[in-house]
Amino acid sequence: MNEEKEMKLLSLMAVGRSDGFWLRQRNHILARTSVSGRGAGRWLLVPAAALAAMLLFVARHRPEAPVHEVQKVEISFLENLDLLSDMDVLESIPEDKI
Amino acid sequence: MTIMERSEEQVRPGGGEDAENAFALIIQEHQRLVYGVALRLTGSAAEADDITQETFLAAWKHLGGFRGDSSLKTWLVRIAVNKARSYWRWKKLRRWACLGGGDEDEPALEDLLPDDPAGRPEQAAQAADLERRIRSAISTLPHRQREVAAMRAQELSIAEIASALGMAEGTVKAHWFEARKKLESLLGDVL
Repeated sequence: MNEEKEMKLLSLMAVGRSDGFWLRQRNHILARTSVSGRGAGRWLLVPAAALAAMLLFVARHRPEAPVHEVQKVEISFLENLDLLSDMDVLESIPEDKI
Repeated sequence: MTIMERSEEQVRPGGGEDAENAFALIIQEHQRLVYGVALRLTGSAAEADDITQETFLAAWKHLGGFRGDSSLKTWLVRIAVNKARSYWRWKKLRRWACLGGGDEDEPALEDLLPDDPAGRPEQAAQAADLERRIRSAISTLPHRQREVAAMRAQELSIAEIASALGMAEGTVKAHWFEARKKLESLLGDVL
């Protein structure tokens, strides 16, 4: 493929949108970051914290029950899902450094 | 130091209004790139929009841990590619579970039309048809070639693509060579 054709191919594959589209998208992202960043919904954690405290209290005051195998698997599965999500942001290691 | 470099230094979650303003600049600078890559990888405007938003949210959340081994640009692209890979896995899983058929993969006409069709309806229809062909051609590429082609289409250099994908530059060039050959055979009449 010659250079001219390559440039044409790249221009066909380029993505164009209106200024309004970019502005809407930017505002949407910023709205979501400010909600998570400012902690506007932190009060929502209060019931969750109360529930966690109650569960801790109950757990401490009841005899030890054997943990079922299925439960163990479910917890590790959920932990793996969290890890997978965090892995998206890992920086790459160049092939020649591996 | 450029405005972008300064904003990249300032921006941290919880850093107040300055951090948010700086992050707004980062979004403004890179959203076209991230969205373009996501659109070419998924072939769906709605998914590309979701991936773009999720990419910037993940970057916002993890900026503190960004080591700066790569540029912010290639880091954002890498996040977007990882999110697109998750999308493919999810799609494959849905297909396997018979939850999604082939019909939903066909983009709607409004998804293919430009945002602001200034020309005549025939021109808009032609543009939509061409866009459908481009998406279809890209979708025939193996994943790695598709990733390289999507990034080349957003004017990333071979070195930047290599950094984003963690590949050697020679490997990127080989993928791009193969991808170009296939795309030319499918889109040759419009090139």
